[in-house]
Amino acid sequence: MKFTSPLQWKLIHASGKTIIAGIILLCSGFLASFAEDIRSGKQVYDSSCAACHTAGVLQAPKPGTQQDWVEREEQGLEVLLSHALKGFKNMPAKGGNPAIKDKEIENAIVYMLVTSGFDQYAKQPATSDAEKTTVASTVPLKQATATKPVNSSVNKFNRLMQPPAEWNLAPDKDGIHDPENAGTHLLQAPKQAFETLTQSRTGNRVDWVKALENNEISPRYERLSDTAKPVVMDLNIVREVKGSMPDVVYPHKQHTEWLDCSNCHPAIFIPQKGANQISMASILLGQKCGVCHGKVAFPVSECRKCHSKQKDATAEVKN
Amino acid sequence: MPDRHIKLLIIFCVLCFSPPVTVNAEYGDVLINNYSDAAGMRPVVFPHWFHRIRFRCKVCHADLGFKMEAGGNQINMLQIIDGEYCGACHNGEVAWSVESCDVCHSGKPGEPTQVHQSTSSKLTATTGRKKAGNQE
Repeated sequence: MKFTSPLQWKLIHASGKTIIAGIILLCSGFLASFAEDIRSGKQVYDSSCAACHTAGVLQAPKPGTQQDWVEREEQGLEVLLSHALKGFKNMPAKGGNPAIKDKEIENAIVYMLVTSGFDQYAKQPATSDAEKTTVASTVPLKQATATKPVNSSVNKFNRLMQPPAEWNLAPDKDGIHDPENAGTHLLQAPKQAFETLTQSRTGNRVDWVKALENNEISPRYERLSDTAKPVVMDLNIVREVKGSMPDVVYPHKQHTEWLDCSNCHPAIFIPQKGANQISMASILLGQKCGVCHGKVAFPVSECRKCHSKQKDATAEVKN
Repeated sequence: MPDRHIKLLIIFCVLCFSPPVTVNAEYGDVLINNYSDAAGMRPVVFPHWFHRIRFRCKVCHADLGFKMEAGGNQINMLQIIDGEYCGACHNGEVAWSVESCDVCHSGKPGEPTQVHQSTSSKLTATTGRKKAGNQE
């Protein structure tokens, strides 16, 4: 049973029942004001969530930083909502403000997800505010997320680029493993392994050299020994480059942390100054530095990691 | 040399503006299909990232003799059982043993040998697509 309109009630019971009608009016007015009182996700976010979530205080996921949200989003809106309502890890229940309504918390989560690039949570605009709240509260969560806004993907930024949600996919989703193979599901997801490692912009999205420097990983140098130390050679080779690009500084140190001399010398690089012809074209095609860079070590799009020594302007003028 | 510059420019353009390959394999994953398809097994996917967390390049590429070339080692199961190549660790002592066939042989059947997400495989994938006329 549902009241169609408080006004109808008032008319029907006008004679001698004004008091009851008044009470009902007051109640319905109260109900109506309650319905309108559900604040939008942005309003709730700005007033109660922004203090921690904008800056990422205590690892709070930041809206707009999709990477923070990928794994959370995977758990589903219901789990996120229950964490936010009851509290989870550093997140206090309702962000420490019990006065916020459950629905408002949900709106705030949806707002943060949408601003982080999960367009599927953006709802179709409803005709009125009142309708918006009823639609939101009656449609089951899963159904609401299934409908995608029409214009979400056509005109989006970086249309041809892999979005962060598709980085480091689990083996059964990566396109080269066979999902029908039982063993595929035993394999570790790279994202899980990379969680604690220093990030980079390309390749595995891991800065392997920094991860090793910071002891985030401790790969063995000998097959059977946990303690064997690498023979590190600290010698920088500067290669002068024609044109406007900065000269290349090749650091033996970072390379010998991982590799043995015999990996590069003498087959790939003749160990003699000036004896190696190296071009970007050959690197791109998988030769010289390209034996590793562009395949397993950071790719060639990281120009400045190698081309790192600015040319001496005065020296150039003299020459 | 202007010729070389033009070549370079073309390669860079192809790299920068080529549509992404639909496969989202992890960077550096090597798919090895030297013998698998013919033997009715799924090809092997070697996850570089998983191994480099645990071993430096030197262990496999200097001590165990793995050439730095996808599919360049012509490894067969007999060698592995005899303790060569993968078998140096995948022997039930350092890492799990050969009876877990489908953990290694986990690739999609018919996939060619290649380093996934590599610069050179992107270049060849793009040219292949152009030939097939499937480009947008």
